[in-house]
Amino acid sequence: MSALLHVEGLTKRFGGLTAVKNVSFALEPGEITGILGPNGAGKTTLFNLLTGFMRPDRGTIGFDGVPLIGVAPHRIVNRGLARTFQLTRPFIGMTVVENVVVGCLAPRVRAEGHTEARARDMLDRVGLGAKANVMVDALSYGDLRRLEIARELVTRPKLLLLDEPFAGLGTSEIEPLAALIRELHKSEGLTILIIEHRLREFMQLVRRVIAMDFGEIIATGSPAEIVRHPRVIEAYIGRGGDDLEARLGVAPENARGIA
Amino acid sequence: MLDIIIYGAVISAVYALLAVGFTLIFGVARILNLAHGAFYALGAYCVYTLTANLHVPLVIAAVIAVLLVALFGIAMERVLVRPLRRLPPLAVLMMTLAVGLMVEQILLLIFGSEARNVPSLVESSFNFGGVLLSGQRLLAFFCSVAILGGLWLFMQHTRLGAAILAVSQDPEGARYMGIPSDRIFSIVMGLSAAIAAAAGVLVAPFQSVIPGMGLLPLVKAFAIVIVGGLGSIPGSIVGALLLGYTETIVAFKASIEWSQIVSVAAVLIVLIIRPAGFFGKRAAF
Amino acid sequence: MLAWGSLTKTDVIGAIVVIALLSVVPFVGSRYIVGIMTVALCYAIWASSWDFMSGLTGRENFGHSLFIGTGAYTAGFLNVSFGLSPWWGFPAAAIIAVLFSLIIGIPTLRLRGPYFALAMLSGAVVMQKLSIIFSETTGGQDGLNGLSPMLRSQVSAYYFTLVALVVTVIVLKFIALSPWGTILRAIRGDEATCQAAGINVNFYKISALMISAAFAGFGGALYANYQLQVGPDLFDVALSINIIIMVYVGGMGSIYGAVGGALLLIGLTEGLRSFSEYRLWVYTLILILILFFIPNGVIAPAWVRVREWIIGRSAAFTRRASA
Repeated sequence: MSALLHVEGLTKRFGGLTAVKNVSFALEPGEITGILGPNGAGKTTLFNLLTGFMRPDRGTIGFDGVPLIGVAPHRIVNRGLARTFQLTRPFIGMTVVENVVVGCLAPRVRAEGHTEARARDMLDRVGLGAKANVMVDALSYGDLRRLEIARELVTRPKLLLLDEPFAGLGTSEIEPLAALIRELHKSEGLTILIIEHRLREFMQLVRRVIAMDFGEIIATGSPAEIVRHPRVIEAYIGRGGDDLEARLGVAPENARGIA
Repeated sequence: MLDIIIYGAVISAVYALLAVGFTLIFGVARILNLAHGAFYALGAYCVYTLTANLHVPLVIAAVIAVLLVALFGIAMERVLVRPLRRLPPLAVLMMTLAVGLMVEQILLLIFGSEARNVPSLVESSFNFGGVLLSGQRLLAFFCSVAILGGLWLFMQHTRLGAAILAVSQDPEGARYMGIPSDRIFSIVMGLSAAIAAAAGVLVAPFQSVIPGMGLLPLVKAFAIVIVGGLGSIPGSIVGALLLGYTETIVAFKASIEWSQIVSVAAVLIVLIIRPAGFFGKRAAF
Repeated sequence: MLAWGSLTKTDVIGAIVVIALLSVVPFVGSRYIVGIMTVALCYAIWASSWDFMSGLTGRENFGHSLFIGTGAYTAGFLNVSFGLSPWWGFPAAAIIAVLFSLIIGIPTLRLRGPYFALAMLSGAVVMQKLSIIFSETTGGQDGLNGLSPMLRSQVSAYYFTLVALVVTVIVLKFIALSPWGTILRAIRGDEATCQAAGINVNFYKISALMISAAFAGFGGALYANYQLQVGPDLFDVALSINIIIMVYVGGMGSIYGAVGGALLLIGLTEGLRSFSEYRLWVYTLILILILFFIPNGVIAPAWVRVREWIIGRSAAFTRRASA
């Protein structure tokens, strides 16, 4: 089967800075892939390009065999490519169900009706069923991540982009969320692309990692390969001089063991 | 033709003064300050009170007026605006509007609705190739240019100026660099108020000083800043020239009534055609 | 029907009580009071239509008087200059106001920042200046006078306005409680997130403005037909600001709160008639106090409290009755 997402030569400049430089990769259906890179590597810009929030200067994006360049963000969602944001911004002043109902109202899935029932089902699946009627302002950060994933999942995406889903979460919240992502991947056959700036969260979650630095892809491979890749080490150690362990969130020997 | 060039220059210079302060506080603190016209009116009334009631010499009165209004601007930012910053931006907008209305009402209660006169500093008139220009208008022109020049030097060559520019370009980044953005907001509000007050002081002798005198300048400042691009200081100067001259030409060739519509029509047209203004968003000196 | 935020029986009873109270005004009030109340009901239509767009989506409109004025002048022109029946004025006013909303809304609502608010404000000012410049057709400062009355008696005009208000509030509230309303409130929450949920935010913002404009234009025509006169003051910035203050007092995004805010402030204005020079003072002071201490407004939160109290009492009553 052909690739679900096919990116070729994608480039985006802001003034003198090239945020994304000639990026090409493909995602197979059902694959769960990570994008690794230090802050400022161009990961979020890449997501913004893929989801239509920004327009690339060069390059092509094919999704499900159809080009995506110049398509409005909401249309892209309705073709089955959903995303979350690094800073989750829920709809303040609304309840948790209402937040998810908005996703059920996307044209792609609106005809299915039963918006509230579908929203509540999805909340049960991500473990927020008990908080459905709570005002969203009262949720913890971890719950907001789950809420965001629920709101995207009700649009029935084929590909889900997660922008640093573990950022700002405590260790006790990370593992359950990772388990949820694994579970969704398995049960829905969902293709997932995750951004992280630390490798630790990837170790048990993804098969393949695409490492970026300064807007370019510097390495592709399994987490274990990535951790030993000289350019990745250079990208992380070359800046600031902290030890690799802290910056990647995992020790290389350890990584080998897990992989 | 020469009269248009000369009168247009005077109007443009005063407009630039109004618009620069307005765009500065927007660029730095994202505050669309609807009390900006009130600063201008307060400047004129301060000079009036100081000279007519307290018999302070005109030049000293002018300086005191500008300082007082600057203090007023800082106080407004501290007491009324800052506590609302965590609310939606509409709340801040409404607050500045309320302050503007309040100032107008207070001036009306104290001074009544009749126009007040402020004496000119320069009484004589000057003749430029057949065009007669009053000394006060000439003074207004030169002072405006001097103040704009001073502002430019301040922004370019002082640490505070650099900090202000840094905050206006990237508030988050500036905070990480240890620039106290709250203090900068206050300072810029004071600066913006002082510049608007200076404009009011300069035009007071040849404008009717009435409580509602701030509304039109506010609309003009709006218009200029929209034409030049919100937050851009060079843009607002070009916008002031553009609008000052267009108005002068329309006033000379058509009628004063039509010239009043120029600024608002310009806003509307620019917003509909090219909302970012003609000079981008980011540039600031 | 959606289960949350939808109307309870108490809400319906509350609305009926308010409508009943407003219906008895002509029986107990003087001609003067009925006149004031008719104007107040017009303000209520304007305020609730403002609230529908700006209260729900959070995109502040600083020139609602643009829609009111164009609506009123449309009705005035059709009646005075073309001699059409006043009834034609209503649909025409709504259509022209919607046209204006498209001209300003389509280019500026797509942008972040205060552009939409400013464009609305300047649109209203431009129309006001134009109405004075083209004084041969518009009557200049005096405006258009001598509209033929649509209803004979003042009392029937009052009831007509009341019915118009009730219909306006029901329609706007109905939309606000439907999935449409959910989307509009989501836009207020965060536009980018809304887009990421697959919603075409520009379509919803522009449609909301069109609906808001239609009712405001309709309300403008209503006002013109009641006053039998149309003037440039209907484009006034002060009118737009008064409407915003009314909605602030009422509580944003509730629709019915705006109605309460309008009635309350017009009542207050009348009560302070002997201090008319302080009127703007009072409005401004109220605005500052509300911004500082009760940013959610007065009427809508108060009703929510009252409703909880009533529901609590009736629940206690049922418990006691069954025990």
